[in-house]
Amino acid sequence: MADLSLPATPTRKPGLLAAGSAIARHRFLSHPKVRLALVLLVPIILLTIFAPILPIQKPLETNLRAMMQFPSIEHVFGTDKMGRDIFSRTLAGVQVSLLVGFSVAGIALVFGMVLGTLAGFYGGLIDRAIMTVVDIFLAFPSLLLAIGLVSVMGTGMVPVILAISLADVPRFIRLQRSQVLSLRSRAFIDAARTVDASQFWLMSRHIVPNTLAAMLVAASIAAANAILVEASLSFLGLGIMPPQPSLGNIVRDGQTYLEQAWWISTLPGVVILLIAIGLHFLSDGVRELLDPRSR
Amino acid sequence: MNYQAPVKTTLLELRNLRTEFQTVTGTVKAVDGVSFAIERGERVAVVGESGSGKSAMAMSILRLLTHPGKVAGGEVLLDGRDISKLSEGQLNAIRGRLVGTVFQDPMSSLDPVMRISKQMIEPIMRNLKLNRDEARAEAIKWLGKVGIPEPERRIEAYPFEMSGGMRQRVMIAMALSSRPQLVIADEPTTALDVTIQAQIVEVLKTLTAESGAAMMFITHDLGLVARFAHKVAVMYAGRIVEFGRVEDIFAHPEHPYTQSLLGTIPSTSMLKTERLPQIPGLPPDMRFAITGCAFKERCAAAHDRCFAEAPSLTLRGPDHTAACWAPHGLGEGTTLKAERPNRPNKPFEPDGSVVVELNALWKQFDTSRKMVVKAVNGVNLRVHKGETLGIVGESGCGKSTVARLLLGLEKPTSGDIYIAGVAQMVFQDPASSFNPKMTIGDIVAEPLVVKARGSKSERLEAVRRLISQVGLDPAFAERYPHQLSGGQRQRVAVARALALNPSVVVADEPTSALDVSVRAQIINLLVDLKQELGISFVFISHDLLTVRYIADRIAVMYLGEVVEYGAAEEVFADPRHPYTKALIDAVPVPDPAIESRRTSTPLEGDLPSPLNLPTGCAFASRCPMATDRCRAEKPALPNHDLARQVACHYAH
Repeated sequence: MADLSLPATPTRKPGLLAAGSAIARHRFLSHPKVRLALVLLVPIILLTIFAPILPIQKPLETNLRAMMQFPSIEHVFGTDKMGRDIFSRTLAGVQVSLLVGFSVAGIALVFGMVLGTLAGFYGGLIDRAIMTVVDIFLAFPSLLLAIGLVSVMGTGMVPVILAISLADVPRFIRLQRSQVLSLRSRAFIDAARTVDASQFWLMSRHIVPNTLAAMLVAASIAAANAILVEASLSFLGLGIMPPQPSLGNIVRDGQTYLEQAWWISTLPGVVILLIAIGLHFLSDGVRELLDPRSR
Repeated sequence: MNYQAPVKTTLLELRNLRTEFQTVTGTVKAVDGVSFAIERGERVAVVGESGSGKSAMAMSILRLLTHPGKVAGGEVLLDGRDISKLSEGQLNAIRGRLVGTVFQDPMSSLDPVMRISKQMIEPIMRNLKLNRDEARAEAIKWLGKVGIPEPERRIEAYPFEMSGGMRQRVMIAMALSSRPQLVIADEPTTALDVTIQAQIVEVLKTLTAESGAAMMFITHDLGLVARFAHKVAVMYAGRIVEFGRVEDIFAHPEHPYTQSLLGTIPSTSMLKTERLPQIPGLPPDMRFAITGCAFKERCAAAHDRCFAEAPSLTLRGPDHTAACWAPHGLGEGTTLKAERPNRPNKPFEPDGSVVVELNALWKQFDTSRKMVVKAVNGVNLRVHKGETLGIVGESGCGKSTVARLLLGLEKPTSGDIYIAGVAQMVFQDPASSFNPKMTIGDIVAEPLVVKARGSKSERLEAVRRLISQVGLDPAFAERYPHQLSGGQRQRVAVARALALNPSVVVADEPTSALDVSVRAQIINLLVDLKQELGISFVFISHDLLTVRYIADRIAVMYLGEVVEYGAAEEVFADPRHPYTKALIDAVPVPDPAIESRRTSTPLEGDLPSPLNLPTGCAFASRCPMATDRCRAEKPALPNHDLARQVACHYAH
């Protein structure tokens, strides 16, 4: 018999998954866009995590002897009109932002995958029912939808997360459905069907793993977007309510003093920008890595 | 002495043409120093497998390469002028006017949102300096010449309103309408059915002969070459390894690769007990530099010199060159020896046990516009234990639907299917038949896991056994599909199909996506397994030579019906249904002597739409002997008889 032998291409050792993911990790970390994203995001995330043990004023603590102070060693981002430390408040705000961003991405991912897979895989009535609702939601501009929902449900973190998710889930369903539709007709699905594989097997083994990559890219874009929407809502006074800090309401607080104390609004604004840029580079990098043509 | 030798003038000459593709993993030398010449009015076929550089070479002539391809050196002399140094603007004047091109895919080479008239008339106006009305008349004339019915009306059609064969005719009309001196046709019939291919080849042949244009015809089908070409250039790994007149190449091939290629194609006279000669191994990876001859690893005649030095083309006869150190390639004595002795001569004897039975099977698909596609119309078939049934027919004849019904992937509209045991399938496209996220081991084990057969270690053992059974190293279990070549993947597909000890394996065009040199390996594998395991096979293909070789019985399908059924050799030697005759006639045979004796005209017309089937005989619209009786009354096929059956009023 011919080609009995293995050609001299790298083979996988036993414990292949470990070897495979080591290669994947190397590729991931050496991608320029991913590196840039990590340089932006990792310090911000670390600072946020370690904020409680940093030698800085607590976010809600006021100090009337140090109001509206210019950035200094003691107050890296300066202070506001009540003498609160902007840096500490910004880190607390970032915590809120990241929580909102990742919650929204997670909710959108879970609901989008489940409903999109069902719609695409079964088609027919299930598909039509899910997609009708999706189309109705997609007809509203997402920010307006969020504003409307928050004004009904009230302010606070949970309503904000729910409101933004409700705008994102339909998009995720559409994306997942379109991927499932194109996978459904592939021959490997037929091959599994010829051995009477259950529908759950087909979806969990063959369909979902092959849709995951694109969905993760979409999720990182959604996280960046959610952070911006949360900031916008809080800025408009519809999101996280003071005194609890959020990047949006810090910027809003500062805008009245923009002429006397520009740093109150500007520096947290820059942090929002850096997070958004970082997440976009991350998704862009992940997308390029997953594109087979990049190999 | 009134004989005058034709004046030979060279039209196109390539001198040491080199083309490179810069990829992330290295520079691929797709064309590595190609030199040859085409005389005026000559038809030169360039044959080679995928990756041999034949298309890259043709595209380099007009610099139509897409990024990252780049002509790295050499000269292209068209009519004595070096066009490789011309600017894009100067070259544009040559493209289309002096050199016409026809590409492989007629679906994508016409602009889908432009009428044919717009796509044809403007280039003609520009190239022949005609006004709009004259150009239109010219376009209509050419559409008529390539065999488009009602060209005055069809010229206003959009591409989507035409069939694939019609679109390829339009492409040919476009290429020829500017009266080019050279036509470059890159696999122009690969996407088409055999009977349509025969029409297109005939059109290209007559029209270029008529206008005196030379032609470069790129193909991997040696049968087509025999039918069509004056000269043949055989390419391997970016170089021409043999070049010569078509009769010489087929009668006395000098290069081992050409000799092997010609040997791997099942011939019309081949016995089933003979193993198909196969070329071992795979073509070289073009990303790496090749020392010595590129074919050495797969060549039985390779010796020390082949590993050190690359041979160049040397004269082997009049107009015949080959690049090989051995004087006659593999030579007479060492022609492709089968690696294993011939199979025992064990003709198939039905012992009465039926493995598959299809009774009055119908399948209709509803389309969105309340129309019904009648894919399978009353098929009765039986497959006995150990028997291989070949189903042949053109695309749209329902052969794949029969396979899907058999495997339970579709539910029949009416009729019933009986299967003793398990039916499994080998799919056509080795690229999409595996989940890219699963290892080969998991893929082969999947049927066992789904059916909960055996413990984990037993399954692991079974996977190793199956993978070795199809001729692969068990270490392949830990690889992913994208790390395998097409032939290796198809072996894995066979291993997966065998996992459940099936009683019948359905193979739907299992070799059509593979290269010629790998095809024989897979066919031998299937035949060996059939003999060793006693499995029945249903082998679906449009490749009639392969079906004749592999199948015990053949069912010929046309528009969802079986029109002829019988023992494979009998059907081939003595086709009785007019469609079977036309189909066998349309298949190009890799032998110029047979091809030049061919006199019959190819079957005319396209397949009728399965949306609107004729009431009488389905074939009546294309049949040369159809009468009013055929159009009114459907000829029937008797049920389940092993004897020869023909569904035709006039066949005897």
